[in-house]
Amino acid sequence: MNGLDQIGVRVVTAPDDAAPSYVPALLREIEALLAELVASGRNGRIDLRSLPLLPGDDARLAALLGEGEVDAALEVTGGTRVRETGVAGVWWVTHANADGETVAEFIEVTLVPEILKTHPQDVRVGLTHLRARLAEQMQEGESDGE
Amino acid sequence: MSGPELLLWARGPGLQFAVAIFLFGLLVRFVELWLLGRKTDLSEARAHPMGPGLRTVLSRSVPMPGALKHAPLVFLGGYIFHFGFLVTLLFYVPHIHFLRSILGFGWPGLPPFLIDVLGLVTIATLIALLVQRFTDPVRRFLTRTDDYVAWTVTFLPLLSGYAAFHRLGTDYTTMLALHILSVELLLIVIPFTKLMHMFTFMLARWYNGAIAGRKGVRV
Amino acid sequence: MANNETVGETLASRGVSRRSFLKFCATMTSLLALPPGMAEVMAETLARTRRQSVIWLSFQECTGCTESLTRSHSPTLESLLFDAISLDYHHTLQAAAGDAAERARTTAMKDNAGKYLVIVDGSIPLKDGGVYSTIAGHSNLDMLKETAAGAAAIIAVGTCATYGGLPHAKPNPTGAVAVSDIIKDKPIVNVPGCPPIATVMTGVVAHFLTLGTLPELDSLGRPKVFFGDTIHDRCYRRPFYDQGKFAKTFDDEGARNGWCLYELGCKGPTTHNACATVKWNGGVSFPIESGHPCLGCSEPNFWDAGSFYQALSTKTLPLSAHAGAALAIGATVGAAVGLASRAKKKAAVGKHARVTADELEKGGGA
Repeated sequence: MNGLDQIGVRVVTAPDDAAPSYVPALLREIEALLAELVASGRNGRIDLRSLPLLPGDDARLAALLGEGEVDAALEVTGGTRVRETGVAGVWWVTHANADGETVAEFIEVTLVPEILKTHPQDVRVGLTHLRARLAEQMQEGESDGE
Repeated sequence: MSGPELLLWARGPGLQFAVAIFLFGLLVRFVELWLLGRKTDLSEARAHPMGPGLRTVLSRSVPMPGALKHAPLVFLGGYIFHFGFLVTLLFYVPHIHFLRSILGFGWPGLPPFLIDVLGLVTIATLIALLVQRFTDPVRRFLTRTDDYVAWTVTFLPLLSGYAAFHRLGTDYTTMLALHILSVELLLIVIPFTKLMHMFTFMLARWYNGAIAGRKGVRV
Repeated sequence: MANNETVGETLASRGVSRRSFLKFCATMTSLLALPPGMAEVMAETLARTRRQSVIWLSFQECTGCTESLTRSHSPTLESLLFDAISLDYHHTLQAAAGDAAERARTTAMKDNAGKYLVIVDGSIPLKDGGVYSTIAGHSNLDMLKETAAGAAAIIAVGTCATYGGLPHAKPNPTGAVAVSDIIKDKPIVNVPGCPPIATVMTGVVAHFLTLGTLPELDSLGRPKVFFGDTIHDRCYRRPFYDQGKFAKTFDDEGARNGWCLYELGCKGPTTHNACATVKWNGGVSFPIESGHPCLGCSEPNFWDAGSFYQALSTKTLPLSAHAGAALAIGATVGAAVGLASRAKKKAAVGKHARVTADELEKGGGA
């Protein structure tokens, strides 16, 4: 059975020093969003899939932004990876489905991406569950102890 | 009618209608021509007319001496237009497929960008010839409605084909439909205008060669 | 149908985390080409709204559209959509049957009058009073008109519901028509395809749920965000088309090298859909990438548009009968015209005046 890679489609990769790359423009946009974050605290987000990136632009952008200290792997209906780039406040969020295929990719300019945060409502629910579990343990302890 | 509906009509009933009118018209013209006949030549033939007739069909493809100097635009434009029209018609792959669906056989095509360039040159040539027809007083005097109609129905398929290829105008489906409809218009008009020359040029050349050849004269 | 619950409550009760839902909304905003910041807005809005009542009407269809929507791998993001809506009526997916099912529909219509969403797949047969497709003794026509009356909007899913589809193909024995041929007073979104791409169907519903409006539509009522481009415009094999490199059979050198499939009948140039970008099965592939020419399944009357395996430029109807008749009639008329012209010529010759040389000399002069 032939694999997809055996269909002889030749992909032309633009050389590193080629003129038409979207990355410089993208970096300017990230800069503008970051400045906005500093000035007013407003978050920004760029949908990487909506841009006409050339093959290799992804890698070029990642190389230019560098790697930061945070690399979080989430398990939410498929994997999601949240990494802070070498530029503080610029995060790279990759959403994948249950089969590991990337379904969305964002650059988030924020103090911490929304998806990492815990929602206050969930905290209240969590507290209720914990209290219920503690109560259970108490009861078991009583029946065991005596 | 929406784009898809128009395209389906053009590829289906429209084509049936156009081909029917085209063949009907051709037959009427040819049968009449044949029945009108020629007066019997009672003189003794010096040579059989067929050979000289056929030779003239080919030899008249070379214009008479001095033609280039006398009418350069018509000379060059005529060749370029006819060559361009025939090559874009016969060697563009989608056209070859259309003809294959009718004839049952096809042939290799040319690269699309060549057809594209040739198409543009052909369109420009046609426009130049029309402009000359307007600006030259003698030509304008001689021009009749039939000439303008013939020019228009020849120009429209070239223009609409070029526009569709380059995704100009409205959406592609509609442009393709318009292109096919323009070709159908051309088919319907051919038998009733001077565009019949695409068939009769062979008859006319043969006839000239034949009657002269019968007398032993080479033309 | 607990559609008094908010979406958020339903998600919580089904163990779908808030983060999963946020991820779903982020993916949807990307797919719908909405501003990326909309994801949180979408999530917050959806979580707080009552689950949207949706009535799915299946008429003269093959159930392929439902299959496309539900046959994605689970759990996927698309399946989250089913948590955000209250699917009050769906033949294949509902547990109830018979009268109970019909009661569910009418109750939902009453409880959510003016606000429920109607999704229709399958065409509506009109011939012979609509007897060729009935549910619970009611013709599809009646059920559509009754259900559409109180709907907020109608989404016609699949080529059958949008254009009539396969039942509508020649000779259309059941008199099948599209939803838009019957309902004229409600907003209708056409999502054609045989079947439509699952993500496209979800995206349209998601747009309505979160923004309360229908996406921008083209002249055939299709969302421009998914149906704005043709397959040909976004096909990865386009460079081969431009260079004139075509596969001639399904297994030749050209086919194996992934050349353009125009000669094998690809209808990509005239077909509007998202197959070349969004692709199928979560972005795995689409027909052309798998080596098969596009059928044009999201365009009207694609079943009658000539062979799937003949190029787009070929004729769709036979010519021999018309040609034969034309030649015969032409020959007859030509003969009549020819003979008439000959007679005219002979008569003219007969009328020629005879002149002698003497007469000429006398009359003439120098």
